[in-house]
Amino acid sequence: MSAPCALLTWALLALFGLGLGVPGEDLPCSCCPIVPRREWKAPASKCVDKLKLPARYVVVSHTAGSPCDSPALCLNQVQNVHNYHAGMLNWCDVGYNFLIGEDGLVYEGRGWDTKGDHTGKIWNPISIGISFMGNYMERSPPPRALRAAQSLLACGVAQGKLSPSYEVKGHRDVQRTLSPGDQLYEIVRTWPHYHE
Amino acid sequence: MRKARLQDLLWILFISELQAANEPREEQYVLAVGKTLNVQCPFSIRKYANSQKAWQKLMDRGEPLTLVFTESVSGKPSQVRMGKYFLEDIPDEAILNVQMTNLQVEDSGLYRCVIYHPPKDPDILSPLVRLVVIKDFLVSDKNPTQNLVQTSTSSLTTTKAQSTLLTSPRTVTQLLPKSTADISSPGFGVNITNVTDVTSYGFRVPTINIIIIVLCGLLSKSLVFTVLLAVTQRSFGP
Repeated sequence: MSAPCALLTWALLALFGLGLGVPGEDLPCSCCPIVPRREWKAPASKCVDKLKLPARYVVVSHTAGSPCDSPALCLNQVQNVHNYHAGMLNWCDVGYNFLIGEDGLVYEGRGWDTKGDHTGKIWNPISIGISFMGNYMERSPPPRALRAAQSLLACGVAQGKLSPSYEVKGHRDVQRTLSPGDQLYEIVRTWPHYHE
Repeated sequence: MRKARLQDLLWILFISELQAANEPREEQYVLAVGKTLNVQCPFSIRKYANSQKAWQKLMDRGEPLTLVFTESVSGKPSQVRMGKYFLEDIPDEAILNVQMTNLQVEDSGLYRCVIYHPPKDPDILSPLVRLVVIKDFLVSDKNPTQNLVQTSTSSLTTTKAQSTLLTSPRTVTQLLPKSTADISSPGFGVNITNVTDVTSYGFRVPTINIIIIVLCGLLSKSLVFTVLLAVTQRSFGP
């Protein structure tokens, strides 16, 4: 093999190898469609505690309630979850930072900046809690819901809300609970940022 | 023979870059002498609620030195103190709190939280902690931003240097000027406050900066590889 040829091959290999070595996040497209609070007619949040950003952990849970597979149904379901948390449990707002519907949309809960009530007193201040609306012990969320969640997390990194080396945990990894359900948990364990 | 060795070295460097993605996350903490390090290490509640945990320092040749370990296997919260080292195991919350007080320059090094079950090898928890203890630097009120810039640059340089080896540590830098006023630099947008807990930068890196840094990294590394190869070829003739 002649010297220039070898040189070229090495250069290409180096570039290729470096391409793999680049951190796994897709370069963000900065399009982060999230259904804002106003759209699901959220009452004003009474929460005051903020999150220290960027967050290093994401905790994935399920609501264990009814699923919804259309925007109209999911709008209704987010309101239901909010009513339960803020009304029945008397919390300052819906507990999750974001909710994911089987319609493939992300619903804004407390958002990136406010501490949630989703995982307990140690984890709430250090993590973003996202919850899939439904019960995923026996069934899995559809691919569009999983894509929506991944896209949300990529957004978080792009906007500096999530550390680029953030770790995803299943709710049952850090609390004694069945959440996020057997099926969804197995899926979350395959996510690139998952770390037990 | 020498040519083959050099090319082997190039391959090793190439492959080690690929493997970097599988290493546990490493975080760098820069603290002044006398301050306290606080680290939280999560663990799997199902697997390790009833396990002993330990805090270890990795010595020069990579062998671990156990500094302190918990004894309780009851699944209830427990605390243990060993001099400057303090561990708090909270099994119900799946977190291990680590504290090192009165830091000295000799404490600098690489540390880790582990699940401790000798004689088996420990299970390593994330994050790996690279601690750098520096002598407290005096900040003159006249130009605090200058010191901020210098320290930021040096920590960035350290990070870049380390990433050319095996791991890509994320820097969590605690800057502790003597002045108690909040210092914010317009260029970085970093808020510095006089707290003993380790905090992370609060600034947002614009997307274009990430792209530029990645491209620069790619270009500089490929340049290094090709230059090394050119030198190899030239040294040993066509």
